Amino acid sequence: MSSHAKGHIRTLSLVAVLSLVACDGDAGKTAQDSLPTTGGTLRVAFWDDAQRCVDPNQVYWIETRSVDRQIADSLTDQDPATGAIVPWLATGWTVSDDARQYTFDLRHGVTFSDGAPLDAPAVKTAFDATFALGAKSVLGLTYLAGYASTTVVDQDTVTVRFDRPNAAFLQATSTTTLAILSPASYRETPERRCAGRIVASGPFVLDEFTAGKKVHLTRRKDYAWPSPLVRNRGAAHLDAITFSYIKEASVRVGSLTSAAIDVVWPREPISEPDQNLIRRTGGRIESRPLPGVSYQLVPNVTSGRPLADLRVRQAVQKLIDRETYAATVYWPGYPVVASVFDSTTPYFTAQAAALAHDPDGASRLLDEAGWLLGPDGYRYRDGRKLTLLDPVTAALPGDQLIQDQMRRAGIELRLMVVTAAKRVDLFAAGDFDLALAFLTRADPSVLGSALDQAVSKQGTARYSQDPATAAKVSALFAQGLQSIDPAQRGRAYAELQRYVVETGVSFPVCERVQTVGLSPRVQGFAFTSEAFLRTNDLWLSGPDS
Amino acid sequence: MTRYVLGRVATALGALWAVYTVTFVVLYLLPGDPVTMLLAAGDVPAENLSAEHLAGLKSQYGLDQPIHDQYAHHLWRLAHLDLGESFSRNVPVSELLADRLGPTLALGSLAILLAVVGGGAFAFLAVAARSGRVRDLLRRLPAAAVSLPPFFVGLLLIQVFAFRLGWFPAIGSDGGRTLILPALMMALPAAAMLAQVLTRSLDSTLAEPYVVTARAKGLSRTAVVTRHGLRNAAPAAVNLSGLLLGATVAEAVVAETLFSRDGLGRLAHEAVLDQDIPVVQAVVLVAGAAVALINLVVDLIHPLLDPRVVAARRAG
Repeated sequence: MSSHAKGHIRTLSLVAVLSLVACDGDAGKTAQDSLPTTGGTLRVAFWDDAQRCVDPNQVYWIETRSVDRQIADSLTDQDPATGAIVPWLATGWTVSDDARQYTFDLRHGVTFSDGAPLDAPAVKTAFDATFALGAKSVLGLTYLAGYASTTVVDQDTVTVRFDRPNAAFLQATSTTTLAILSPASYRETPERRCAGRIVASGPFVLDEFTAGKKVHLTRRKDYAWPSPLVRNRGAAHLDAITFSYIKEASVRVGSLTSAAIDVVWPREPISEPDQNLIRRTGGRIESRPLPGVSYQLVPNVTSGRPLADLRVRQAVQKLIDRETYAATVYWPGYPVVASVFDSTTPYFTAQAAALAHDPDGASRLLDEAGWLLGPDGYRYRDGRKLTLLDPVTAALPGDQLIQDQMRRAGIELRLMVVTAAKRVDLFAAGDFDLALAFLTRADPSVLGSALDQAVSKQGTARYSQDPATAAKVSALFAQGLQSIDPAQRGRAYAELQRYVVETGVSFPVCERVQTVGLSPRVQGFAFTSEAFLRTNDLWLSGPDS
Repeated sequence: MTRYVLGRVATALGALWAVYTVTFVVLYLLPGDPVTMLLAAGDVPAENLSAEHLAGLKSQYGLDQPIHDQYAHHLWRLAHLDLGESFSRNVPVSELLADRLGPTLALGSLAILLAVVGGGAFAFLAVAARSGRVRDLLRRLPAAAVSLPPFFVGLLLIQVFAFRLGWFPAIGSDGGRTLILPALMMALPAAAMLAQVLTRSLDSTLAEPYVVTARAKGLSRTAVVTRHGLRNAAPAAVNLSGLLLGATVAEAVVAETLFSRDGLGRLAHEAVLDQDIPVVQAVVLVAGAAVALINLVVDLIHPLLDPRVVAARRAG
């Protein structure tokens, strides 16, 4: 099967122009009749930057990927509504039937902010350099899995080859991780790129990056090649954007309500009282589940451990009350997790029945497995207590809720509080019963880095499946990458989701939702497909403060 | 006198070396290593990387060398005043220090100034007030202030003076106005402690027979406290100020994190979490040098305030 997207871009541009004329959509009700005003500085507050690197090719920190989206463009873009890949710096592409060869036609007239043209050699330089980063780009490693070469066909055509099928690569080209930097940037060392020596083709230019302290971006006046998903076809409305870092949640929200900043962008969902506070002061909340691996616990099925028994795993699956978790740890109406993927992930299929809360069914399974209730309310078999070891860095309310849900059925969930480094050691050594997994990417292949023994060395992959289960899981992951035919990928990932939930290879706990608090001035806010910030259409109404 | 000063400087250098070594050992004994911490900070667990990948990164930072070699290497560089390069930030440590020292110095100086002025004024009032009931109340307040957690005080200050009244910014480190709230937060426990010590030493001075004589001569209560009391109580307070500086460095960690300020405190906190050894070492050295320096100054001022110290040393 071949896909060709040339000409597609013209239609989408037309749609964008029409919707601008109609002036509908997400401009917000206060500004429905007014056209966007140009100017002003958007002030965004994150919570932290622990990776301390701004180079999009190396960044895995989700907040910094929101910074990078304003600076750097990608070959393609992904529609947040449908997950479809649409043209951007590439006007079209063809993919070989075996998903090993991708040919991109590049857009004319795109330049980096240092004046260099974005052409085929520039794309080759970027992909080669990103692949060469190796471990310095943990995401790049999986996005470019099997990368063999990029060939310059002519000035505006490149062919990327893989030595094994990589059907997820098309989505990868839409990410900031595979954003194209100027050839001059790749003459800098990776360390200097991390520290801010990067030039790209985005609507904003990076002026200052001090990790965890301040990022300053200025508008590029001659920007004219936005993604078709953007309404504004030219330079950004904002003059500049600053990103600051505020660790304490109450100070963050207070800064928003006292108009010291315009956007709060924390990692943990904004609490319900804080959301109400923001709304009371005229602000609003935007949210989008982070696509990719949902927040989940993965078992250690090594023989001798309690979760080696399928019936115990199925019991645990039934004992997690996900509706209560979403409503109490977060708030009523918070999305309830329904798969190993968050609902915004392409090819997500709900496994609601298999994930239903069923304590009676769980008790029957545990009885059958020989774990019988003792006088102290816990279950025992051959004198051994049914204890599950869960290494955590802090016993959070959600962990304690699951601990309680397990205790009601007679399972002791032991929350062992350790440092982050110690937990890495425990996960690697298999010294646990439940390990944590989550990862953001708007393609289901991302679960492979947590569960697929064929590609991942992680403890969550190594210990969660016996050889027979692992063979089946790896085969399904491979099927998902073999062809870019959506029907075939869809079948593989639907079967994968059903299989890992039913056999207890993973226990989904909750969706990860990116919540953002906006001041009343912010208009035209948009999320990218991966729930990052996109500011092309964003503008500030009212007086500058 | 020169010998005395040289002796003190040598002691200070010895203390710095000890601090440096202890920090080095502690950081290396912690579980995990800087490379793992750096890579495991976010969504991506480092264990997913192959052994070769990890080994390559570790050798880049010299972490594959035996610990004593690394220690010798770092100490040798330090002797040449080279602080090395940050593991996690890809910039020279000296650059980081130059960038962050100023804001912390400004904040710390203002906090200490507020603490000395506030604590001194409070003690003076607590002793000199005419009404016995007011004196009693003033003596009890510092104990309450010492027991308030600084983090809580900082949040209160932000809520009231930044969000409600809007007098000062809650966050940032641009301009003098951003200094006020964090400096107040840091000054409060120090001022309270200083007030307690000064009050007590003023009390004991005022109970001396010569004070009774002075009062009998017709000096007012205020004049007695100013001329006789404060002079005799000052040495204890100056000694305490030396200790307070150490506490101030520690509180800068909380203040700079809560108020999102740049500075050494926040840098130290983040560097410890990253196991960014060169940065932690440098911050510890700077803080240690500051404490050693202030203690040296205190030791030198002490004889001027209290001639008995010099006399005792001669006699001994």
